[in-house]
Amino acid sequence: MPKHYRPAGKKKEGNAARYITRSQAVKYLQVSLSLFRKLCILKGIFPREPKKKIKGNHHTYYHTKDILFLKHEPLLEKFREMRAYEKKIKKAVSKKNRDLAERLLTRKPSYTLDMLIRERYPKFIDALRDLDDCLSMVHLFAALPAVEREKIPVNRVHNCRRLGHEWQAYISRTHRLRKTFISVKGIYYQADIDGQKITWLTPHALQQVLPDDVDYNIMLTFLEFYETLLAFVNFKLYHSINVKYPPILDPRLEALAADLYALSRYFDNRASMTESKATSFSESDGSKDLGKGPNYEESELRLAQLQQQLSSNEPGALMHLVQNAAETDEDDSETRECKTLFKDIKFFLSREVPRESLLFVIPAFGGIVSWEGEGAPFKETDHSITHQIVDRPTQGHKFLSREYVQPQWIYDCVNARILLPVEEYVVGRIPPPHLSPFVDNEVEGYVPEYAETIKRLQAAARKEVLPMPGVGKEDLDDPQNLLVEGVIDRAEAIEAAEKKRKMSVLQKQYHDELKKELRSTQISAASDGNKESVSEHIDTGEDSLPDLSQISKDADSMSKIVMPRKKQKLLKAMEIGKERKQASVDRLKERKRRIEEGKKSEK
Amino acid sequence: MKVPKRSARLKNLQESKKDAEKEEANNLLEQKDKTEEAVERSKEEENLVESPVISDDDDEDFSDDDGSLGESGSEDSHLSGEEDVFVSSDGEDSFDAKSDDVGGNGASGSGRDDTEHGEDDDSESDDSRPVVEESDSSEDEVAPRNTVGDVPLEWYKEEEHIGYDLAGKKIKKKERQDKLDSFLASVDDSKNWRKIYDEYNDEEVELTKEEVKLIKRLLKGKAPHADFDPYAPYVDWFSWDDSKHPLSSAPEPKRRFIPSKWESKKVVQYVRAIRKGLIKFDEKPKEEPSAYLLWGEDSNAIDRQGLAYIPAPKPKLPGHDESYNPSLEYIPTQEEINSYQLMYEEDRPKFIPKRFTSLRNVPAYEKAVNENFSRCLDLYLCPRARKKRINIDPESLKPKLPSRKDLRPYPTSCYLEYKGHKGPVVSISTESTGQWIASGSSDGTVRIWEVETGRCIRIWELGESIRHVSWNPMPERPILAVCMGEDVYLLNTGLGNAEEQKSLEELLRVEMPSTPDDSDNDKTIVNWVQDDKNGGIRLKHFKTQRIPFKLHGLPVSTAFHPSRSAFFISTKKNIRVYDLLKQKLIKKLETGLREVSSIAIHPGGDNLIVGSRDGKLCWFDMDLSSQPYRVLNCHPKDINRVAFHRSYPLFASSSDDCTAYVFHGMVYSDLNQNPLIVPLEILRGHASENGRGVMDCKFHPRQPWLFTAGADSVIKLYCH
Repeated sequence: MPKHYRPAGKKKEGNAARYITRSQAVKYLQVSLSLFRKLCILKGIFPREPKKKIKGNHHTYYHTKDILFLKHEPLLEKFREMRAYEKKIKKAVSKKNRDLAERLLTRKPSYTLDMLIRERYPKFIDALRDLDDCLSMVHLFAALPAVEREKIPVNRVHNCRRLGHEWQAYISRTHRLRKTFISVKGIYYQADIDGQKITWLTPHALQQVLPDDVDYNIMLTFLEFYETLLAFVNFKLYHSINVKYPPILDPRLEALAADLYALSRYFDNRASMTESKATSFSESDGSKDLGKGPNYEESELRLAQLQQQLSSNEPGALMHLVQNAAETDEDDSETRECKTLFKDIKFFLSREVPRESLLFVIPAFGGIVSWEGEGAPFKETDHSITHQIVDRPTQGHKFLSREYVQPQWIYDCVNARILLPVEEYVVGRIPPPHLSPFVDNEVEGYVPEYAETIKRLQAAARKEVLPMPGVGKEDLDDPQNLLVEGVIDRAEAIEAAEKKRKMSVLQKQYHDELKKELRSTQISAASDGNKESVSEHIDTGEDSLPDLSQISKDADSMSKIVMPRKKQKLLKAMEIGKERKQASVDRLKERKRRIEEGKKSEK
Repeated sequence: MKVPKRSARLKNLQESKKDAEKEEANNLLEQKDKTEEAVERSKEEENLVESPVISDDDDEDFSDDDGSLGESGSEDSHLSGEEDVFVSSDGEDSFDAKSDDVGGNGASGSGRDDTEHGEDDDSESDDSRPVVEESDSSEDEVAPRNTVGDVPLEWYKEEEHIGYDLAGKKIKKKERQDKLDSFLASVDDSKNWRKIYDEYNDEEVELTKEEVKLIKRLLKGKAPHADFDPYAPYVDWFSWDDSKHPLSSAPEPKRRFIPSKWESKKVVQYVRAIRKGLIKFDEKPKEEPSAYLLWGEDSNAIDRQGLAYIPAPKPKLPGHDESYNPSLEYIPTQEEINSYQLMYEEDRPKFIPKRFTSLRNVPAYEKAVNENFSRCLDLYLCPRARKKRINIDPESLKPKLPSRKDLRPYPTSCYLEYKGHKGPVVSISTESTGQWIASGSSDGTVRIWEVETGRCIRIWELGESIRHVSWNPMPERPILAVCMGEDVYLLNTGLGNAEEQKSLEELLRVEMPSTPDDSDNDKTIVNWVQDDKNGGIRLKHFKTQRIPFKLHGLPVSTAFHPSRSAFFISTKKNIRVYDLLKQKLIKKLETGLREVSSIAIHPGGDNLIVGSRDGKLCWFDMDLSSQPYRVLNCHPKDINRVAFHRSYPLFASSSDDCTAYVFHGMVYSDLNQNPLIVPLEILRGHASENGRGVMDCKFHPRQPWLFTAGADSVIKLYCH
């Protein structure tokens, strides 16, 4: 009898009916494997793990219902239609019927993914929840070179860039950015939208390599879905702040690759227009001193925007004003905190710093930023600039009125939510270690030194700022003051710790003495009572006292004895995990100790 | 002069021919027949021609009607000579050559051609001319000519001559050359390959270069003359322009002037398609807005179709070590990096932290695309399943046990030590009143101790290592049984009051005389001997008694049921319970242990504990199953002895790891309630000796105290 014998006339049951292998599914759907893959990616269908694998261990199993779901997908029919159409074109071409071929080519059927997105993410919050991969992918492709060989078309790369910028513009505008982290892999950002923490990675703005061992078709299929998703998400987000989507950008800034700035300008314009048109005109006047040549175009663009504005939003202008006000009220405390971090600080970016990232981060935390190059809002010679971000070994000409800091300072400030002292980040110095904001140091068990410093500074800042918010700003502005305070605080803390330790030592001594006394009395009493007993010995004192750990161990082992085997194993696994964690922490501590020793010996 | 004469003749000839033809044409109706006729005729003509060839000698006999041949003959001798040349050049095909020749310059053939084309007569003379010229060229070479004609040459084989010349004189055969000479000559002569032997004229002919070329071309299947172009452009001889008399005078058909029906149908089709909008011209496909408000109000959202969606786990967030500028302690040393190479591929860390002193030094991450791709693969290829992540405190895994305080009293700490033995104490036994304990050691002594004071009361030196000691359970007869080697001693301890002592001595003495009787009887297994020195009886085993049960293995430990007549015997793996009255197996308990070391029965009789050499302790509830109710993996080393307390719900195990465990083991009278087992205390204090730890443990019969006998020759008493 075969392994899974089913008598004739009896239907399949259980796992055999519920799951089918991939090849079965492909056959059932009558599609090619690549098309099946594409469908799965677009529909978000993934293999399942049946409890009993009917066909064996080396197969991929899909749930039958998933496959039925695919079967009824209109997209499947669309793909078939497209294939038939391709054949028509091919036939026309090979028959040298050029007219027909051209006509057919212009009317190629295409498909849209919006219903799929609706289906996969019925609520906006669902879409936000799954946005991490989408954003990382879009940002990665925005940095990739368009390669003919791998069929990465230029327009898709551009689209990715555009989408990424639109997303960043929204985040920056609404001050939703929470954490940033420069890693070797790129820059991580974390934003908070509707309570959803969205983390994404943007690669460093450098030439990326395209490895050969990657199936770009699959990545492009994913990208196709993600592009559509991000477009819809952006639309919804822009819609929520009453901005038209897709935004019409200043072509001049776009040409200068300052898309993000163009977007922010766009936002500004929209906002100002909703508030009062007069200001917008004055702003345009103000912008005249920046570039004279393209000014005409710019004003024309504005006009176009204005017309759109008038046609669409004129009746509701007042409403928007109200809404904006309401929105500002709705902002949670964190957003408010983020909004004011770089308030009244003017930044200037040097040539060599990663402009795109900083143009995104600084406005997100309320700073004003300009850069070296065309189209910048203000020049380097502007005297109101307070901080200049430089990343070079030495700075030649220095303005005394501003601080020259390395870009890491921005990111560290953002993560710490305070303005850190600039001394450590001055040009030419090796900056202090850049720490990940995603790590919970307490859980991890190891707190790096600089994290403690930051914590102390934070505590100091809070103490100063919170009671009198009016004065706090000045304090923040004066990092020297802050540092001094921080140092004092540190000294205090150290002192307190020392005291505590001394106290504990004293306490221990006292306890030891007490114990000794007790023991001696016991011994004497025992010797009094049982003088005749030759072989008698009382081992209450010496043995039981150091055995406190022994006792706890005993208690542990005793409870372990009675545990069922399953739980015992679980416990063991937990212990192993704990040990591993502890080992890594120990390793770090050991390395740290060695480094410090090395430093001492050098001195 | 010659030529006009000849042409005049030819004219005559042609006329005569024409007449003949006309006659024939009358006879023949169809052209095919004509051609056939032509073939026949040519044959006839050949016959006609042949005769003059054969009778070449009598030239004058030719009549005018016979045509050109006669004429040629009369005209000149060179024409015939030319014929001869042809014949001589390829003698074997002489007939063909001749026929060709006839066809070529035969008046009849050319005449016919003339009639067909209806052209001028001069062509005839043109045709004949090259032949004449050729003959001229060949004539120069050879003077003597053979005139034998087309006869088989073997007729002249025997003769001295090969034929006759024009004058009729015999042509002599040439002298046969020596073969060797001819060969040598041929080798020397580089032109030898061009030489051909002419049998007919008996001479060697050397072919000229032109001739060789010609032959070569023929062999290749080409036209013989190089200047002949087989693919010359076709010159249309017919003038297609309006001639006076067109070939066809049919008028132009109507269809040339009206539009095609099918074309018009096609046009109509196109027109309709255009009207319907199926065909559009120079119109770009409408650009739809790529994005719109997909999620309006969330309240009217449809629920997700299909199976429950399992969201993919989010990628892991980066830690401190992934920073471009991590703290120094996160960067592994070079040795550590090298040691990664020795690790397994899976264990190797995927990411090695690096440190860059400034942001401008950070290069592009080369694995960015790879990592993104692997994430894509994970998203669509990895089976997803909801797994409950157990994020609980490990403490919560531990079972809720009743507090140990509630289960008091139980032995907790060492109260007394009984020292005196010189070797490992193998066995101890408590007297049923709880006043005394007896101990046997491997140094060959048995001692009795007072429990409360720890004083040693009596010592027997038995000389051999003791295996087991046991008190008489009846308190009024304090007899001690000692097992040693193959013998068992029953010793009078001398305890108890005088009355008891007296009866005891009597008892032991009474046994005395019976021994010789028994010794007479060979059937007895045991020999009873009075041992005066120690004040007791010595039982000597002579042979082992056979028990009436099959054991399936060596017996390890035995026990009696406390109330019923049942008997427990354990082999290494299993425990069998026998009914002693019926002599029948009641039950077989499967321990699942590697090697059982000892068993103990609960005083209730329905439960028993089994200690094993792999450190496991099994609790059997015999009402429940033949499998253990609970296996406690408590000792890392062999369990030597397990023991139940007689009255308290306590049991203990002693092991070679120098510890003894005390458990609470409550058996309820309610059958629905399973026994409660709680570990209470780990008793330490013994030292290890030769790998042995605690050899024996016994509970005090009335108090919750535990005696343990250690291999370090100490007995300890643990009290509550």
